[in-house]
Parts: sequence; structure tokens; C-alpha cells
Amino acid sequence: MKRIIVCVKPVPDPKEWDKVSMDPETKTLKREGIPSVINPLDKHALEAALALRDLHGGEVVLLSMAPPFAQATLREGLAMGADRAVLVSDRVFAGSDSLGTAEILAAGCRWINDFDLVLCGNSSIDGSTAQVCSQLGEMLSLPNVMHVTGLELSDEGKLSITQKIESGFVQLSARSPIVLSVRKELNKPRYIAFTGILAAESKEIVTLSNDELCVSSECIGLGGSPTKMAGLELRTFERKKEKLEGTAEDIVTALVEKIYQCGVLEC
Amino acid sequence: MEMAGNKNRDVWVFAEQRHGEFHDVSCELIGKARELADSIGSKVVAVLFGHDLDGIANTLVKHGADVVFVADSPLLAEYRLLPYTHVFEQMVTEHNPDIILMGATAMGVELAPRLAARLRTGLSAHCIDLKLNDDGNLLQVVPGWGGGVVATIACPDHRPQMSTVMPGAMKALPEMDRDGAIEKITVELPDTDMGPEFVKVERIVATEQPLEKADIVIAGGWGVGSEEDWSLLEELARLLGGAVGSTRPPVDEGWATENQMIGQSGKTVRPTLYIGIGISGVMHHVVGMDQSKLIITINSDKNADIFEVSDVIVAEDFRKIVPKLIEEIKARKIQ
Amino acid sequence: MDFGFSEREEMLRKAVREFAESEIPPKMEKMEETGEFPVELMKPMAQVGIPGIITPPEYGGVGMGYVARNIVLEELGRVCAAFPMSLQVHHMACAALMDFGTEEQKKKYLPPLAKGETFGTVGVTDPAGGSDVIGMKCTAELKGDKYVINGRKCFITNSHLSDSWIIVAKTGDGPKGLSAFIIDKDTPGAKMGRKENKFGLRGANTGEWAFDNCEVPKENMLGAEGQGLAVGLKTISETGRTGMAATALGILQAVYEEAAKFANERVLYGKPIASLQAIQLLVAEIYTQLDICRLLNYRVNWMKDNDMRCDTETSMAKYYTCNAAVEAAKKAIEVHGSYGIMREYAVQRLFRDAMVTVPAGGTAEIAKVGIARAALAPFKKK
Repeated sequence: MKRIIVCVKPVPDPKEWDKVSMDPETKTLKREGIPSVINPLDKHALEAALALRDLHGGEVVLLSMAPPFAQATLREGLAMGADRAVLVSDRVFAGSDSLGTAEILAAGCRWINDFDLVLCGNSSIDGSTAQVCSQLGEMLSLPNVMHVTGLELSDEGKLSITQKIESGFVQLSARSPIVLSVRKELNKPRYIAFTGILAAESKEIVTLSNDELCVSSECIGLGGSPTKMAGLELRTFERKKEKLEGTAEDIVTALVEKIYQCGVLEC
Repeated sequence: MEMAGNKNRDVWVFAEQRHGEFHDVSCELIGKARELADSIGSKVVAVLFGHDLDGIANTLVKHGADVVFVADSPLLAEYRLLPYTHVFEQMVTEHNPDIILMGATAMGVELAPRLAARLRTGLSAHCIDLKLNDDGNLLQVVPGWGGGVVATIACPDHRPQMSTVMPGAMKALPEMDRDGAIEKITVELPDTDMGPEFVKVERIVATEQPLEKADIVIAGGWGVGSEEDWSLLEELARLLGGAVGSTRPPVDEGWATENQMIGQSGKTVRPTLYIGIGISGVMHHVVGMDQSKLIITINSDKNADIFEVSDVIVAEDFRKIVPKLIEEIKARKIQ
Repeated sequence: MDFGFSEREEMLRKAVREFAESEIPPKMEKMEETGEFPVELMKPMAQVGIPGIITPPEYGGVGMGYVARNIVLEELGRVCAAFPMSLQVHHMACAALMDFGTEEQKKKYLPPLAKGETFGTVGVTDPAGGSDVIGMKCTAELKGDKYVINGRKCFITNSHLSDSWIIVAKTGDGPKGLSAFIIDKDTPGAKMGRKENKFGLRGANTGEWAFDNCEVPKENMLGAEGQGLAVGLKTISETGRTGMAATALGILQAVYEEAAKFANERVLYGKPIASLQAIQLLVAEIYTQLDICRLLNYRVNWMKDNDMRCDTETSMAKYYTCNAAVEAAKKAIEVHGSYGIMREYAVQRLFRDAMVTVPAGGTAEIAKVGIARAALAPFKKK
């Protein structure tokens, strides 16, 4: 293995999820003051990359498409053990849907160059489409596999991939380069070690704008996204909300009536 | 692909199958496609890939498809992403459908984006509803932020409009006596690298009735408290002929399996009867069950969020209610 | 004066918090029941760098200093105070070796401590003298090229978890009559005695050692003969008191969070009790004490990192933070009302944990005597 790219996305800390609210007027989500973390599934992807590097050598490079604040989140990935990071950040990227995102990440991968593997999490916890893996594979003209729960590299350079599907597990055999997205069952991400924190301080984070990537404006941003947001609503519910009260016996009698009334049982 | 006065208004459905068995979502999507196509006077086309498919293509017609394109070849016997994408792309380029629907399944979630990228068109993920607006654009309704918001996505300037749809969100039509055309597609794959080799598939044997098919679901949450009390739910489910569902904490505790989890990251269920026990009602769970016909919930917390989405509310400790309920139902059954 | 934490320190806090919140809670029920430390966590902690935080890199540690150590102990204490209690004594052994060990001793003992292969421990307290250190009765008599140790040590943290014990024993009379030794646990004549059953800090191992004609080679003396008091006092003052203060600080942080959370959740008179002034006053006091103790703690560790003499400050930090943690825990119980005395709620454990930190590692009274000396000295008449 010479080089593994791990795509990471900074997302609002899921522990502070309940502090995210929606602005009813602008219909956008308010996430100020909520710290960002590496998307949990991306951490599993990073762990997989580090484990492969531990066994087979090579370099692990983080790639992220995000606003400039993402530097702090990338520093965490470097502290976990990645060797360097590339942040692609530009106003013109804002509003890109998954197609635009894949274009931009593909350009980032090409800039990094000469890689054997691209790893990412199956989906992100915010706005999760789970579409980036396959679209990135397409943009790079590389095969891709999602839902990876097992990954091994043989000495001959063959990748044994386990993929989880509804009815069980599929075993695949592949060669690099390839794009993979992982499920959390794949591994347990290592904790950041203090030596990692110290080492991360001298590791490189390169920031690239579209000036360096030169992605065509037709493919990115709101304008370059085939999908458009046509509406956003808070969910509301209308249910009968009938309260059953009284003794346990009263309640049970009423419940049994409701159950039989809905027609699902045969009397 | 940019739209260029596209006259074909057909609604295509990818009929997912593995080893001769359809995923339930295939007929669910045909049901929805039928509704969409009928409203604009166009056709429902099912797209079926695999090998030895003669026996099963007709099922799709019986469930509402007007045309079934069958790509039957040993090269497609096992699902592989690049061969399927290649064949699908060729068909789309030839026929120019307006809409392609696929299930948000393990296969669909991998295949749809690859195809959408190859066609340079838009794709919305995990839709829970689809509507056509007056301009003939497909409005794709997707949940976001753990289900707290609902977004409507459109793809006005590109065709085909593509969506992956949550299994269980749409309803299949009952089998009908109807006619349809079954067309065989020739399958040829290019010389280029077609990706990983399939080695084998290992099945996990599911012994219980699948949750998504159950008409009655008894679901439990953290409030059930113990494995011992969890067995009360299992008994109730057995008695009523229903399936047991769960939120995340009981799965973590080992009282329930991942297969039984209902919610944003689990299964969507739409049973006629849903009884929720010891469930607080966080959004991630509610999005997976709030389309149930009758929702009865039991929780000792008078302020449980789940009560907001319930038809019948019992603000009591389930340990006081459920054992008596079981006795009462047993008594009625004997009569 | 810069009162902020650096980016490195913030990352450190985040890393320890994540580790502590994931790995420790599943162990806590058993710790409360049995009083045993989950030793299986020592290796994972070593992988992160916790046991070796002050040990220099050339001996296998991370060498990040005392402010960093305080962050680590505080974050561990926020989840379960038995952890910083055990680790801070472990660090005491490291510090004693770093300050007084020969090169051979450092090379032999520091790496296994940093790698979490064993727990470090320092035994000064003797049944005959806790606060009265020189009054100890444990003796070390030179016979040929060996020292023969006789006596007992009690209230020793990590007594039953350590492979090599650092003790202070009498080699002569008076303040220059104490010497420190490193004793390997399997040495004939050295025995682990009873394990104590504490009402708080459950899971931190506290116990006794007994020495019956235990022969220890001369090479195992730590520091020079007669330097034992300095070894004991320096280690206790600079590494022990700061460690105990950090433990109490972690408890205080947890106390504040429990009180504030409960105040916002518990509804009475149709509103969360956080809207009642009576509750607000209690929470304000807890919050203020937390901030005072945090400043006190980090300042003294900054002094230590900058090689400043800080015995008075460590005494102040220790006695004040431990007592403040008890007071705050009491108030938090009151915020909880009757829920506060139920085992399902954390505040009762925090109260018990805080109370145990008060006498352990030096009583408040001893601390104040030392502080008074420093306070009165500038105004003393010749």
C-alpha cells in the first residue's frame, strides 16, 4: 500500500444534537456554537486506513471538503494517526449536492495523486444521502463497494472485502485502486493517544481552493447541482391522542376493545 | 443528462431481486409508479436484471408493470455494481425514461448513485413520499436531521429524475390479472475492468416473521427495563400474531436484535396496529413507525414525547397493564 | 497573564473525555460493589498515554507536564474519581524515580510504569505516623550489603496492584533518619496485607503492606541515605497533593453538571426547578466554587511546570478543592431533594467520593499549619 485517502466530513457533535434547531423563517438549520467532530463513520474508515498502514506501510492522507473551520477537525484525524491532510475549501463549492461534492472530492483525490485506496464512511449523520462513495467512484472511474464490514489485504495485493446486505454477507475479491465506504461493524476506532496529539502539531494541512482544483463551475455549487431544495418543513403530527384512564382493569378492557376494533384480529 | 424536450414520461422501477427472490420494495415501487404514471397517462416499466428470470418477470406485470425489460445473463447472475450500471446506462440512453425509482436497499443505495453520476442527473435518497407537481416534476420527500425535518427535493433541469425510496414507505398493489409486455435485453459487457469478483454470499438465517411484513408490531424501548420484562412483549406479540420491534437501547442491551430495530437507522414499519411499550419517542424512532394505522403507547412518563404521535395513550407502568392485557386476550381466545 | 488553554490542551481534554466516557461507565457498577479496580483498563490507558503523562519520553512516557496531567486527571475524575485517585499515586512513583532515581533505577522501573504493565505506588504512611511522618516505626537496618525492613505501611493506594513498591523507612533518628527504598513485591518477607473497605472512591485499591525481615539490596535505596523525608515530602507535595486536588476537581465538575441537569429536568409547580431562586442560589454557589478550584488547580500546576517552588500552593489547592467538592456535593444533593439520597442518582456517590478525598493524602489541618507558616513568615519579628 503506498497511499490511502480517507474522506472525512466535519459534522455537528451528535452529543449536542438536541441543541440544533430550525429557523422557521429562513428554513435553515441553526448550528452555531455546536462543536464539530469527525463524522462517526468516517472515523471507522480512518481506523481501517491506519490498521492497513500499520500492517503494510504507506501513507494515510485525509481529504475533506468543508469551510475553513474544518482545520481543527482535521487536526483530530492527524492526532489519530493520519500523516497529512488536504482541505478543499471555496465559496463556490457551497450548495453542492452529492454530485457536485463527488466532483470536488475526485479533483482533490487527483491532486493528491498516486493512491491505492479511497475510504469513507457509508453515510454522514447530517444530511445523510450515502451517495458520495458510488459517485466518487464514478468520477474517478474506479470501482466502488459500499457497506464494508470486513477488509483484508493479502501479501499479493489482493483485497478481501466483506459487504453486509439485508440477507447476510457478500465476500468480494478486488484489486486496488478502489473506493470503499464502511459500516461501523468494521472496527473500533482507536482513541487519540497523547503522542498523537503532539505529533499532529507538525503534520501538514494543505488548504486548496478551486483555483488549484479547477473544477468546472457547471458542476459545482447550487448552480451545478441537478437536485434542488423545493421545500423544508418541521414535521407535525395529528393523532387522536386519546388518554385511557382509570384502574388497570378499566384500561385493559378499553385496550382490548381498541385492538379488536381495528380489525387486525379475528374474533 | 440535461433535459431536451423529453417526451417519454415513463416511470421506471428497478425491480431488485437476488437468487430469484424479489425484495419487497420492488412491488411497493411498482405500486407507487402505477399511481404516478396513471396521473400523467404514461407507462410503468420494470427493469429486471439477473439470470434465469423466466419464472418471475410476470409477477411484476401482475403487480402493475406495463413493460418489463429483462436483462437475463450469466454475467448478471450475481449483483455487481459496474456490470449493472453499464447495462442500465445503455437502457436509459436508449429509452430516456422520465423517472427511475429504486429501493433504498443495500443494493439500491450503491447502484442508484453510480448510475445517477454516470448519467449526470440528480438523485434523492431515502424518500418517504413522491408526488408530481403541475409542471410534471417529481417532488421527492426525504426526512432529514434524524427525522425532525422533511425536505422536498426536485430535479427540474435534468432527466431522468432519480430517487431511492425507503422500503415500506410505499404500498404494493394486490396481484391483478393483467397483461404486460416482457422484453428481453441483450447483455454485453465491455472489456474494461468490471470491478471486484464475487466470491460467495453467506446468509444469516432469519427465523422470525420479518418486521416489515407484520400487520401487528409490538415495540419496546429502554423503559422495558430488563430482559425478563422484555419477554412480556414477546408473549403479547406471539398471542396477537405480531412481530416484536425495538428502539436502539434494547438492541444495545441485547434484549432485541439489530434486525428488530425500528427507526431512521433501522426499519420503517406501517402495520395496522403498533403498540409501543416503554418508548420515549425520540425522532429517530418515530420516523420509522408514525405511518402505522393505529398507534397505542404505554409509558409511565406522563410527558413522554411518543404520546404526541399516539392515537391511544396509556400513561401507566406497563408492568401493571400488559400482564392483565395478556390474560384478557387469552380469555377471549378461549371463548 | 493568559488564562486560556492552548489548542494542544483542548485536544488533550477532548481525547481523555472521549476515552473516559466510553470505557469507564461500564466498569463502575462492579467497582462500587467490589471495590476492585478494573485492571484490564490499564493497557488501554497506557496506549493513550495516561500512566506515562509526566514520565520523560526517553523512559517511555509522554512528558507533557503537570498542567496536562491535571487535565487528564480532572477529566477522568469527572466520570469516576477512583481513576484519578489510583493514577495520581502511580504518578507519584514515577515522580519519585524521576527526581531521586539513579540512571539504572530509572531505566528499570520507569518504562513498565509508563506502559501500564504495573501500577506505581508510594508508601509513607505507617500505623504509627500519618500526619506525623517522622514518628513512623517501620525500620530499615543495614546488615552487610542489604537493608532489612521491618514494619507495616497502611492506607496505601494501589497496594495490591503494584509490582514494585516505594516506601520510606527509618534508617536512623530524626528528620535525617528516613530513607526511601524500592521493594519488588515478591521479595521474601514482603507481604500484602488487608484491603481496606472505603465508603467512597470505591474501586481505588487501598491496603496494607507488612515487612518481616525483608531483605532489600543496597541498590534499591531511592536517593541517598537520610534523604527519605525529602523524597516523601517532595513527592507528596508536588505530585500527590496536586493529584488529589485534580481528583476533587473532577468530582466538582461532575457535581455541577448533575445539579444543573437535574434542575432543568425536574418539574415542580409546572416549571423546571431551575426557575426557582432557591435552587439558583445553590447552583450559583456550586458553579463559583468550581471556577475557584479550577483556577487554583491550574495555577499551581503551571508553577510546577515552570519549576517554581509551590508547596504552599499545593497545600491550598488540595485542602480547598477537596473540601469544596464535599460542600458542593452536599448542595447538589439538596437540589435533588429526596432523589439525591437514592443510589440510582450519581450525586450520592459524588458526595462519598469527595468526602474520602478530604483526609486522604494529607488532612486539611496539616495543610493549614504549613500554609500558616508561609503566610506568617514575611511579618515575623526578628
